[in-house]
Amino acid sequence: MLVLLAGIFLLHLASIILLLVATIDNAWWVTDTMSTDVWARWILNNGIWNHTDLPTGSTYPSDYLQAVQASAILACIFSILGLFVFVGQLFTLAKGQRFTFSGIFQLLACLCIMIAASIYTNIFHNDESSGQYGHCFILAWISFAFTFISSIIYFVLRKKTRD
Amino acid sequence: MLTILALASIVLLGIVPQQSEAIVIYTGWERHALVGSDIRLSCSFFSWRWTSEDVTFSWSYRPDGARDSISIFHYTGGAPYVDNKGPFRDRLEFVGNPARRDGSILLKNLDYGDNGTFTCDAKNPPDIVGRASSVRLLVFEKVPIQAGVITGAIIGAVLGLLVLIVVIYYLMRFLVARRVFNLSVSKHGRKGKGKEGSQQRQLWRPPPVTLLPLTS
Repeated sequence: MLVLLAGIFLLHLASIILLLVATIDNAWWVTDTMSTDVWARWILNNGIWNHTDLPTGSTYPSDYLQAVQASAILACIFSILGLFVFVGQLFTLAKGQRFTFSGIFQLLACLCIMIAASIYTNIFHNDESSGQYGHCFILAWISFAFTFISSIIYFVLRKKTRD
Repeated sequence: MLTILALASIVLLGIVPQQSEAIVIYTGWERHALVGSDIRLSCSFFSWRWTSEDVTFSWSYRPDGARDSISIFHYTGGAPYVDNKGPFRDRLEFVGNPARRDGSILLKNLDYGDNGTFTCDAKNPPDIVGRASSVRLLVFEKVPIQAGVITGAIIGAVLGLLVLIVVIYYLMRFLVARRVFNLSVSKHGRKGKGKEGSQQRQLWRPPPVTLLPLTS
């Protein structure tokens, strides 16, 4: 039982870390000389990386960009709150009850990161000739899977007597 | 003795500020406006002296990319003089109140050619040493939303909704529990303990200890 609990806790923690890395680190779209995410862009000039703002215009609609930013941050917030709610529910839940609150928070985090990653996939970098999706983008989708599995586990798990 | 002290302090107050005399002028930093709209450029100043009758305000304009600035407004001797030959003829109006240290001007019917830097210089004799302050005007077809406004709004709205839902949930639970408790108490109240039953209807009081074993 303790092993199961530790496993669930580690899964939740892993999803939080993946979400934070996906939001904060700068590699949603990379080329040989450029690395960009939803906040800013790094451009390689003569061997030196320069930090620049994201381009504005029709290829980079700012309202969609801000929606992606907001969703990514909300996913992180919900997942972190969910961890505290899970620990709280461990101690306060009556026997035989389900961890619904923690499951709800993880589900919300899953929804938010799905919204963020889908908008980014659909709207940005549609007709760029070179480059590919960077590791943060992939981590965003992986954390979607993790948070989904985590929320399902919380909805199914029941609190048993400690043994 | 006291009068000498008072007189000395007044004299000192009159002498000391000579060194800290410098007029400080305040305008905005940057102003955004739509094509065809009007905009009020505000200018006010801070000075240790009383506002004198010879207070002067002057505005000058330097277009984007130009090196020279031209004078477009001057207020002196109690009368405003607006631009009647330059780019702002018939479009400039004085809307300030010099007695209240306000030297704002109103620009009407803006165009893309009005992009530039507007500098306000105010003098309050004998307080004339100071640095003029500039405000940059940007004319847009559509006012752009500043970075992060939508992001912050979405995050705030979702979190606020979450807090609201949690509060409503706990409120409903509290109300339902209270109603259930009141119903169970009123049943016991009718059986024999009439006084307690009637008391319970008036206010919410903490339950008396004798009732607890009956409800579990």
